[in-house]
Amino acid sequence: MSAPAQTPNGAGDARDPSGFLSEIIGAPVTVKLNSGVVYKGELQSVDGYMNIALEQTKEVVDGKVRRTYGDAFVRGNNVMYISADS
Amino acid sequence: MATQLLPLELIDRCVGSRISVIMKGDKEFSGTLQGFDDFVNMVLEDVTEYDYSGAQTKLPKILLNGNNVCMLIPGGLPEGDEA
Repeated sequence: MSAPAQTPNGAGDARDPSGFLSEIIGAPVTVKLNSGVVYKGELQSVDGYMNIALEQTKEVVDGKVRRTYGDAFVRGNNVMYISADS
Repeated sequence: MATQLLPLELIDRCVGSRISVIMKGDKEFSGTLQGFDDFVNMVLEDVTEYDYSGAQTKLPKILLNGNNVCMLIPGGLPEGDEA
């Protein structure tokens, strides 16, 4: 039995996690952590651990902007989801 | 030998359809499954996030970390059954 999660054409398909990530690089995103804290900013880069580098970051707690950062690194283990802002 | 459906094959069959994701702790997501990987990280579209209080948040497209995923329900939960 082959691994079912792999697509025949490998990575790069926008429907897969890695394809989605490469699609949203440079776009405004919302990153929610397991703690509930939200970071909104421009997605600079992501890696396989879901470590994230953001630019022009706003830290949002309970719907209110707490702080702003020019550049921010988020360690991947804290990330619940990355959402592409529409 | 009888053919058996592996767990990840079951998820693969859900690609393109609505699913509910129940997380560890009081949180749920429902959305259209676009794709997933071996860690069960998932790309979901037209997502509703339900928190412990029942509050709903709409999200257009997300990459959900598989680390805190507990259970997947193909087809989604019946309306009004969430959170």
